[in-house]
Amino acid sequence: MNSLYTYLFIAALLFSLGIFGVFQRRSLIGMLIAIELMLNAASINFMAFNRFLAPDPIVGQIYTLFIMGIAAAEAAIALSIIVAVFRRLRSINIERAQELRG
Amino acid sequence: MTSSWFQDPTLLAAMLGALLPFVSFVLIIVFTRPYPKLSAAISVASISVSVVCAIFLLSSHWHLEQPIQYAGKWLISGEMYIPFGFLLDELSLLMLTIVAVISFLVQVYSLGYMAGDPGFARYYAFQSLFAWAMMTMSIAPTMLQFYIFWELVGLASYLLIGFYYEKFSASEAGKKAFVMTRAGDIAFFLGLLLVLLNFGNLNVLDMNSVDVTARMSPGLITLSALLVFGGVIGKSAQFPLITWLPDAMEGPTPVSALLHSATMVAAGVYMFARIFPFYSKSASAMAVFLAIGTITMLLASTMAIVTRDIKQVWAYSTVSQLGFMVMGLAAGSYFAGVFHLTTHAGFKALLFLCSGVLIHEYETNDMFEIGKHGGRGLKIPMVCMTLAAAALSGIPFLSGYFSKEAIMGALANLHNPIWLVGGLLGAFLTAYYSFRLIFIILFPSKIEEVHHTEHGGHSAGHGHDAHHHAGLYWVMAWPLIILATVTVVLGFFQAPLENFLLGHHGVAEGHGGGHHAWLPWVAVGLAVSGVGLAWLEFGRKGASQVGFVERIEPVRTLFAERWYMDHFYRLFLDYVIYGIFSNLFTRNDRRVIDGGIDGICRATVGGGWVLSFLQSGMLQYNLMVMFAVLALVALYFFF
Repeated sequence: MNSLYTYLFIAALLFSLGIFGVFQRRSLIGMLIAIELMLNAASINFMAFNRFLAPDPIVGQIYTLFIMGIAAAEAAIALSIIVAVFRRLRSINIERAQELRG
Repeated sequence: MTSSWFQDPTLLAAMLGALLPFVSFVLIIVFTRPYPKLSAAISVASISVSVVCAIFLLSSHWHLEQPIQYAGKWLISGEMYIPFGFLLDELSLLMLTIVAVISFLVQVYSLGYMAGDPGFARYYAFQSLFAWAMMTMSIAPTMLQFYIFWELVGLASYLLIGFYYEKFSASEAGKKAFVMTRAGDIAFFLGLLLVLLNFGNLNVLDMNSVDVTARMSPGLITLSALLVFGGVIGKSAQFPLITWLPDAMEGPTPVSALLHSATMVAAGVYMFARIFPFYSKSASAMAVFLAIGTITMLLASTMAIVTRDIKQVWAYSTVSQLGFMVMGLAAGSYFAGVFHLTTHAGFKALLFLCSGVLIHEYETNDMFEIGKHGGRGLKIPMVCMTLAAAALSGIPFLSGYFSKEAIMGALANLHNPIWLVGGLLGAFLTAYYSFRLIFIILFPSKIEEVHHTEHGGHSAGHGHDAHHHAGLYWVMAWPLIILATVTVVLGFFQAPLENFLLGHHGVAEGHGGGHHAWLPWVAVGLAVSGVGLAWLEFGRKGASQVGFVERIEPVRTLFAERWYMDHFYRLFLDYVIYGIFSNLFTRNDRRVIDGGIDGICRATVGGGWVLSFLQSGMLQYNLMVMFAVLALVALYFFF
């Protein structure tokens, strides 16, 4: 059970869930959460490869820390965009944001 | 060269002489336009320095061993480089002196003629530009530099002809002069390109050397000579392009004097003389030039017979004298053409300046009017004008006599006598129309002696400051007296000039035949009979004042309408240029160019419209497409 493939499988599952969530959710907040899921899947991959294949340098862990920082920043930006969209459209439903339709 | 230019007096003089008028042009245009007196002073001062330089150059190189050439590289493109500099040989030194002297006299004269004109400063700026362009052109070492300044001469004369630009006819005349000479210049430029491509060099001395025959085939030489001669036809108002010159009378009279004697029109003949050895390598081209010169000369003489406008008579006579020069050159006599150019510069400037005094005084161009109002009362201009007209007619021992004899001699050496007959007929007509004008003014049928009181308003306008007026009159009279002296004396310098011009390098002279002892007698006889005919019809007491041509109405109309050449050009313009070419080009512009651009625009808009359906506006569809593409790319690369 404690093998690389377990972690890779879990990460793939998380990533797929994230993709699915991005495609499926019509609420911008939901899409944001799904993106966070995908980021976490990537983090898990980094940790797992670091743990099982190249244990000595802790590059993978440092990368994970970076991803967490970036995720925080991204969440802040995304939320501010969502607030701006809400102010304009009085809604955060993605189906309402179709003003650029050709 | 750059380190020693101030130690070499020749180069210093050439640079000073050629460049100072340009400096004064820039100074006047940029700084001193609001101050007419200062502008005129700058211009006259610079042209005086030019005169001194030119005379210094001419006298210090009177015994010139070989041409002096200064050249600096100006443009370098690949293997070809375009030098810019000065070429001082006999011809260019002579021309430089003529141009400088005539420009100087005209500028001094204009102090009186143009006094009080609102465009006084502008006038002097253009005069300086004109002098600069013409002098630099005369001493150009390459045909390209020659061509550049040739066009600048055209520009300056355009500006001066259209000097009274608020007058419609003046601006039209300027435009006509510009466009018609340009027609010739295109041929000139094509000819130069032909020489450049085949000979590889536009240096004047090289073009005149025998290398040309070695490197270019005879047919090519003929073609390029004919094309280059197009420039002469345009500038010197030769046969197909005559009519711009009479219209150029719209400019101020001193401008006409300058234009007709030493600069604009003389530039064409000067170009002929400049590369004369090049032209003379093609006998068939020379025959064409001879025909063109003869036709021009005769046509212009007939036009001069019937016009009433004093300036127009001299304008036509310029055209016909230019025809004479071309004939002399084309007959193979380098000296005759250049000598006639020199003497003609003197007496034609004199004629125009004298007419200027009359026109200024009586404010009319009509010779009958001037005669009626007592034109003969003005002693100095009338005496000078009679002298100059006599020189123009070839009355013995005035300058025109000697140069015309030289040309007749050259024509008599040709095998075909028709050219000589044409030349003699031209000499007869010249004498007739010159003295027709003189007699009309001198012996009008009725004189209104009281012109000063009659012109009360006029003389009050002019004579409010009698002393000042007299001063202006003398400013205008002195150039006349100097030119008259030149006209009388210059003929006796034929032998020294001939030695100077032909001295060492012996341009091929057509002295094949013997000396024609009878020729001067015939020519003088014809000139005198021309004067006599004019006397019978216009001069003697109770003369009818109607010329023999004017009795035959259709012929008179034909001559007065300039052989319908302007009508022909008008028709040509209307039907061929506007009717066919403009029409085609307009259609091409509308349909092909505009249509093409509009089509591209419409296609772009339409394509954008079609493609915009891809943008559904739904964020997640776009994402899905991205994901699918990435997945496919990944599949392609990994498996």
